[in-house]
Amino acid sequence: MDEYGTIEREIRIDAAPDVVFKVVSDPEHVKDWWPDEAEYEAVPGKAGRIGFRQGDGSVQWEQFTVVDAEPPRMFAFRWTHAEEEEAAHGNSFLVTFELEPDGAGTLLRMTETGFRERGWAEAVAAEEYAAHVRGWDFFVPRLPAAVAKAAR
Amino acid sequence: MSTLVDDDLWSAVGDPTRRRMIDRLLTDGSGTATSLSEQIPVTRQAIAKHLAVLDKAGLVHGATAGRERRYRVDEAQLARAVAQLNAVGSAWDSRLDRIKRIAETIQRTGGGGSAEPDTQHERIEKE
Repeated sequence: MDEYGTIEREIRIDAAPDVVFKVVSDPEHVKDWWPDEAEYEAVPGKAGRIGFRQGDGSVQWEQFTVVDAEPPRMFAFRWTHAEEEEAAHGNSFLVTFELEPDGAGTLLRMTETGFRERGWAEAVAAEEYAAHVRGWDFFVPRLPAAVAKAAR
Repeated sequence: MSTLVDDDLWSAVGDPTRRRMIDRLLTDGSGTATSLSEQIPVTRQAIAKHLAVLDKAGLVHGATAGRERRYRVDEAQLARAVAQLNAVGSAWDSRLDRIKRIAETIQRTGGGGSAEPDTQHERIEKE
């Protein structure tokens, strides 16, 4: 990683670019790998939001605006800007997915930028939601046992 | 406040000149504004300003030695900055793993590339 403040990842997927594009852009699929709620249209410039369920059952909403959607090559969005603001450089994180055919599969490249512009504390705060989501992945399957134990 | 420290830390390592200075200081063990300005094509005054930023973020510590302050990198604080960055990176690693699993499942179950039926199919599967 040359530039602190940018996260870059690349992963090869044994699925066609069309399929991968849908998984990274369609709100119904995005909910399967990231937020608990996703309310947006995969249309550039349209404002939407994604939500993360908190421990007390409430939903923490984050603004989400699609910046670019070129199926099946590229999908980009900005998130975490303030509700009354338009997503722009300096007020949000920019996530870009680039898809390249690789045999029968897809090479998926992801970059997230904006940490430098926004300051680190916000990036950490944003990650806390992600950690929360991962926490649910871990705890939910264990809940029935825990409840049974508490009821005894 | 720890939040403020994190912001300082982040903007301190966010600048390419400051990162080069950290690199030099790590390589040489220590350095002064003068020695750094001989190694990096930036004026001594600019180096001094960058050192002040790094000092404020706790990434370097200066001690007066002779005429000039001599700086060293605080490796624990640098490790902390790197660890925070890695935390964001590892969250993306697990998201991408999930993207891979989901896309490969759709591909295997014969979804192919057609749009609507596929989404339906997945929805039903999820429920």
